[in-house]
Order: sequence, then structure tokens, then C-alpha cells
Amino acid sequence: MGSWMKMIKELTIRPKGERQIRKSPAYSFDEDLKKPLSGQTVKEILSKSSDVVFREFFLQGKDRIPCMLAAVDGLVDKNLLDQFILTPLMVDLARHPELTQVTLSNVVDKTLQSLLPGLEIKKISKMREAVDAILSGDSVIFFGNLTEAIVVGARGWANRGVAEPITESIVKGPREGFSETLRINTSLLRRKIKHPSLRIISLKLGDMTNTDLVITYIEKIASPDIVSEVLKRLSKIKMDAMLGNGYIEEMIEDNPYSPFPQISFTERPDVLAGKLLEGKVGIIVDGTPIVLVVPAILTQFLNVNEDYYQRAMVAILSRFVRYVGAFMAIVAPSVYIAVTTFHQEIIPTDLLMSISAGRQGVPFPALLEALTMTVVLEILQEAGLRLPKPIGQTIGIVGALIIGEAAVTAGLVSPLMVIIIGLTAVASYAVPTFDLSLAVRLIRFPLMILAGVLGFFGVTVGLYVILIHLLGLRSFGVPYTSPIAPLRIRALLQDTFVRAPWWALKRRPQLMDVEDPRPNGKG
Amino acid sequence: MERISPHQFTTLGAAVILGTTFLPVASIVTGVGGRDGWMSVLPGFAVGIPYCLMIFSLSEQYPRKNLLQISATVFGKWIGNFIGLIYILIVAYLGGLLLGQVGDIYQVSIMPLTPLWVFFLGGIFLVLYLVKSGIEVFARFSEVVFPLIVIALLLNVGLSIPRIEQGELLPILSEGFKPIFLGTRKIMPFVMTYMLFLAGVIAFLPTGKQELSQLKKGVWRIIFLVGILDTLVVLIQLLVFGPAETIRLVYGLLVLGKLVEVSRTVAGVESLFLGVWLAAAIIKIGSLFFSVIWGLESVFGLKGVKWRHAIAVVFLGISFRFIRGPSLITEIGLVDEYLIMPFVALWIPILWGVSRWKRGAGN
Repeated sequence: MGSWMKMIKELTIRPKGERQIRKSPAYSFDEDLKKPLSGQTVKEILSKSSDVVFREFFLQGKDRIPCMLAAVDGLVDKNLLDQFILTPLMVDLARHPELTQVTLSNVVDKTLQSLLPGLEIKKISKMREAVDAILSGDSVIFFGNLTEAIVVGARGWANRGVAEPITESIVKGPREGFSETLRINTSLLRRKIKHPSLRIISLKLGDMTNTDLVITYIEKIASPDIVSEVLKRLSKIKMDAMLGNGYIEEMIEDNPYSPFPQISFTERPDVLAGKLLEGKVGIIVDGTPIVLVVPAILTQFLNVNEDYYQRAMVAILSRFVRYVGAFMAIVAPSVYIAVTTFHQEIIPTDLLMSISAGRQGVPFPALLEALTMTVVLEILQEAGLRLPKPIGQTIGIVGALIIGEAAVTAGLVSPLMVIIIGLTAVASYAVPTFDLSLAVRLIRFPLMILAGVLGFFGVTVGLYVILIHLLGLRSFGVPYTSPIAPLRIRALLQDTFVRAPWWALKRRPQLMDVEDPRPNGKG
Repeated sequence: MERISPHQFTTLGAAVILGTTFLPVASIVTGVGGRDGWMSVLPGFAVGIPYCLMIFSLSEQYPRKNLLQISATVFGKWIGNFIGLIYILIVAYLGGLLLGQVGDIYQVSIMPLTPLWVFFLGGIFLVLYLVKSGIEVFARFSEVVFPLIVIALLLNVGLSIPRIEQGELLPILSEGFKPIFLGTRKIMPFVMTYMLFLAGVIAFLPTGKQELSQLKKGVWRIIFLVGILDTLVVLIQLLVFGPAETIRLVYGLLVLGKLVEVSRTVAGVESLFLGVWLAAAIIKIGSLFFSVIWGLESVFGLKGVKWRHAIAVVFLGISFRFIRGPSLITEIGLVDEYLIMPFVALWIPILWGVSRWKRGAGN
């Protein structure tokens, strides 16, 4: 009671007459972290947080050595601590033959070599290492006033376990997905690729959050240039907080002003494994189930992992549908506007009459009609996205059926326009990747305006601008439109618009330069 | 420095030659060769092969240099710069005229009420964006677009087959080989225009022995592919319209597109066809724009964004000067025949000859 009263006093007493909210005092931990390692200093730094616990005890060897164990409550496995650290050191070791030789000068080495069991155990000698280890969930044992300590890995916290990913559900294939815990994710990956060339490199990002992340790739396959580029870009990131993959994505992508995603992501270990086997590099961030994969190319955003579990013919059909869907989602409204506004000659007379009858009485030009409908659709999508599922569905029904029907009956929009916009919405759902689907939704608007102002000429100019933009994009040095341009014929025929049967995949599809283009299938 | 692959060289070359030829080619060759004019298309393009080989030979001797830089090395600075100046003027003038043709075709065929400047600005915007993106992106653009151009052409030809009258082609060679020679002479300027682009782009091509042999094969492919496609275009127009009407219709292929009807669902696809043609035209104009940039860099050392914009203004100025219709077509024909043809026909063989002679003398 007394301590928090004291804290309130410290925080609230201010100079007389001062009314403004004060800035937080400039306090630099860096100075403390530069001090020589000692248990007492660590305690001073961390004791203000109630979740950090310090357990003091004595180790009775040749000398009576004061020890202190520091850990964060909730991040450590208490059973593990009791069973394999505190009990051996405080109880079992009384009978240990080597204990009689333990003095303050050799306690660290003796503990490491013969007193403590456990796999993840190492010696440290820097203050920053100790603080980072404690806050990351490890336990640190300090011995008297020694400037060395021991870190024991006994992490254990609540997690939701391995579940099926929501964003990448499939019919035929494995059900497991990544979770928020880094080590679970790396273990899931390791279970897929049991080969010594799988590399997992650990890094930390975020000055305040100290977020763990790993870069993973297959040494014999990934281009060293791409791996070094990933490391280079990550090392340049300087920010306080790294709370998820989105932070990294924007910091390392090649062209941040492009609407098109240049880094792909997955929640599935099998997809990550497949991409690593194509020569890509994965970035797994602690605290998120989303794994970033670089480099990314356009056509891969339209392919899904289920293509590889289905039979080749089925996969080809699915891909065809997706590509047609994506194209329709981009151009359907603009083509409709261009045709009804400028190029009626393209429509045969009977159809033209029918369209004209539908538009009779509609007071707005096709452009305004389409723009309004599309904006309404976007609002409905946005409104339904983050609501609880049953309410989201209700909004969909109210929006699509009731408002749509009422708008047609009131003569505000033509029935054909409702069909076109509905078709566009359905087609955009055929785009399997959320990021690309957003890009498609974004570029639809300027195309509609160009169609309304300049007809097919405007649509064509707009499409060519998009094409030139795409052709100029690169993801970590790899052209975004590969393998279409620059043409890589094998990759194009094997795994782009079509998916060749596994027995026909004699060599890895070369979407980019890979080190080891070995056979994929036995053929 | 940016590089383009042998495959990109092939598609880029084919797109540049095909770019603005497939619309007027039927009217031009039929105008001089009558119903036998179609036979002159392939030989006319084939004339370009020795010129290409001469350029490759020069590139082998002076790797990573364009023909203007090679001219300055071989003929000396003053003559080289003079040649460069002529090169820049011709290329910029033709580029501006072709930009004018974009507006002309769109306005004549599908959007008569839209002001011309809209098409000019749309066209030059695309060209500038391509040029800003660099030669690699330009080559990739051609890689994507060229197959679409070919498909669109073949569709237009294929869908017009029901309308052909076989008798229009007969009698064959009733006037001997003279019409073929005349037609060939009219086709040659098209391929010579490509030489102007090749003269600059040669600096961006790979120089290894294996790649050089691929590039040479690429030239043969370009010539035969474009030759055959243009022959088909001429043939279908002759067979559908007959010689007299083919001569009259400058943009006969668009008229063919207008006649197309697919299962009473889609009719008059010329507006869609024009979309593909626009890409072809942009590649052609883009190639000339690049040529002007390389010319200014080589001769005057001028480079940078402001000079790109200055070139765009020149292109726009020329396109506005020759507004539309027959005068524009006539002007393009005159530039092709009386400026480009003699310039390229003399410049490249002389440069090649002198360089070989100098090398021989050096040895």
C-alpha cells in the first residue's frame, strides 16, 4: 500500500502554478545497460515492474554463495524452473560430490558443466544480454557480485497452439497453421524440411519491443544476393516498436508507393516450405502468425497452395477462373461505362435495346452510377469485415439485397449496373490474396473515371500505365512480372498460368535465379 | 547499364517494325503493285537483314557503343556529329508525325467528337512513362504486348475469312515481276526505320559470342514473323475488299474490324482492336523517342529529365502541326521514302565499309 502511495506522490507533485501535462522524464536505459553486469543493478532496473520476480537463495558449496534468479512471471514455465533449476541448486546438490569444490570464483563454470541440467543454458557477461534475456522470457541466475551470469531457457507462456489458418483455408491439404510463438513456427517449418541446408537466422528488432524474428532460407537453393539483401534491409530498420509483420513489410519493400504487394505472406508451414524450396526467403516475426516471404512476383499472388494438392487439370481450371476473375474485377465496370457511354456500336442492336430500356429513367450518367455503386459496395465490405460474423452477414444482406433492390425500383440505378457491380464484387473474391485484392479494388476507380471521360482510349491508356508500372516493379531485385517478362519459358509453362503435373516438373520452376535447379519430381 | 536479352530483342524488334506498318501496308503495296502487291512484303522486309548483320558486325568491333558513337570514332568528330544531327532531326520528326497518327486514327475511327490533343497527350504520356522506366521495361513491355498484337491481328484476319472472295487475287503475276519490285521499294523504308532504332539500341545488347549468334537468329525471326503477318494482312484486305478498295482504305484493317460480328454478341471490334494497336504505336513512337535521347546524348552530351520533356514538347509540336488525314499520311510517306531510306541506305554500309577498311589498314 505504502509503495504505490509513494509512487502516486512522486508522479503528482509538480512545481507550484504548473498546469500543463508534463513530458515524461528523459531517462536513458542505455547508461544503465553499459554498466558492468551485476544482479543488484538488474534488480534496480527491473524491480519497478511487478511482473519481474527475483528469487534469492544460497548455494552451499565450499563457500556460501548468495544467488539470485530473475524471471518474468507469465513468460516462464514455473514447473520447469522449480524442477530443473531451483530444486537441483537448493536441494539436490547438497548430495552432489562436486559441490564441495564450488567457490565464488568457479561457480559459473561448475554450474554450467555439472550442476544444472537443461538444454538451453549459457554464460553471459553483459548487462544488456541479461536484461534482454529476462524480458524475452528466459531466466537469469546471478552469483554474488560476479560480473558473469547464467541464462537458462525455461520459456513458457499461454498460446493458442497450432490451429487452422483462417485466411488460407483449403479443402485438400494439411490443416496446421502458424501461431504467435516464434519457436512453434520454426518447429513447424523444420518438420516440413528436414535438411541441414535449412537456415534459421535469429535477429532482434525494435529498441523498446526487442522483438525476435528469424530469417529462414535454404542455403543450396536461395540466391545469396537475395539473402544478403534481406539482411541488409532488415539491419537498416531503426524503430522503437516492432509489433507485427506490417511494420517490416513497409520498411523493406522496394516501392512503397505502389498499390501492388511486393512481399507475400502465408500462415501455412507447407506454403512457406514450398516457397523456400523455390529459392525464397521467409521472415518469421515473434507475436504474429503471418510469415513474410520475399521476393514476391505478381502471378504467385493468384496461385494458391491447394493448386499443388489437387490434380493438375483441376488446378489449371481453378487458376484460369482466378485469372479471369481478377481481370473482370479490374475492368468490368470500366468496360461497361466505356461501352454504354462511347462505343455503343460494339453491342449488337438487340442487346443495345435491352440495355437502353434498362437505363431508361435513370437520372445519372453511367460513370456516376457506377462510381456510387462501387463506393457503396466498398462501404458494405468495410462495414461487414470487422463486425461479428452474424452481424456482418446481416449487413451484407441488407446492403446487397434491400438497398440494391430499392435503388433499382426507385429508378436511381439500372438493373444491369447492379449486375455488373455484383459481378465485379464476386470476381474480386476470386483473387485469393487479400493484398492483391485490395490493389485490384484500388485501381478500379481511376479506370472507371478514365472510361467515363475517354472511353476505350482512356481504359487502354489506364491499363497500359498499370502494365508499365508492373513491369518496372522489382521485389528484392527480381522483376515483379517474371516469368512473363522477362520471359522464363519453363517457369511459364510449368507453374504460372498452368500447373504442370508433378511428374512433368523435371526441374525447379525458375521464377528467379536459384542456386540449385535440381529435379523436383522424378519424371 | 541496362541490358536486354536476345528474346526481348526479338519481340522488341518485331513490335517496332510491326508497330505502325500493319495498318497502312495493304494500301501502300497495293497502290504500287496492284493485286500482286502482297508478294512484295516479305522481300521488302528481307532487305533489312544485311543491314542488321552490318550493324552487328560494327557492334562486335566496337562493343557497348551505338552507331552514332561508332560514326564519331570512324569518321571523326565533325562528320560523326553531323550524321548524329541528321539522325536526331529525322527521328524526332517521324516520331512526332506518328504521334499525330495516333490522334488521327482514333478520331477518324471511333471517337470523332473527342479533341485531338487528348489522344496526343495520352500517347505522349505513355511514351514518357515508358522512357522514364528505362530500356529494360520498354523491352518487357514489348514482350508482353507483342503476343497480344499478333493474336489481335490473327483474330481480325481469321474472323474476316467468311467475307473473302477468292477471285480478287486472280490472275496472279499478270503484269510480271514489276509490281513486286515496286512494292518492295515501298516496303523498304519501314525496315529502314527499324535500323534507326537498332543503331541506338545496339549498345544495350549482350556482346558474348553465343548471344550474338542468338541476336542474328533473332533478326531472321523478326523479319520473317513481321513479313508473314503483314503479308496476311495485305492478303485478307485484298480478298475482302479487292484491289481498288484496298488502295482507297488507308486503315483497311480497322474497317475489317468494323465488319466483324461474333455470334450476334460482339460486333464492330475495331475499338478493341485499336487498344492493341495503341500499344504497337506506343512502342514505335517510344523507340523513336529513345533514339532521339541516345542521339542527344551521343552528339551533344545532353541528358536528363528536362531534355526528355523537351523532346516530348517537340513531338507534340510536330503532331499538332500536321493535324490529320491525307496530308499526315503523305508526310509520313515522304519522310520514309526521301529522308530515312536514303540516309540509312548510305550511312550504315559506308560506316561498315570504312570501319572494315580501317581495320584492314590497321592490320
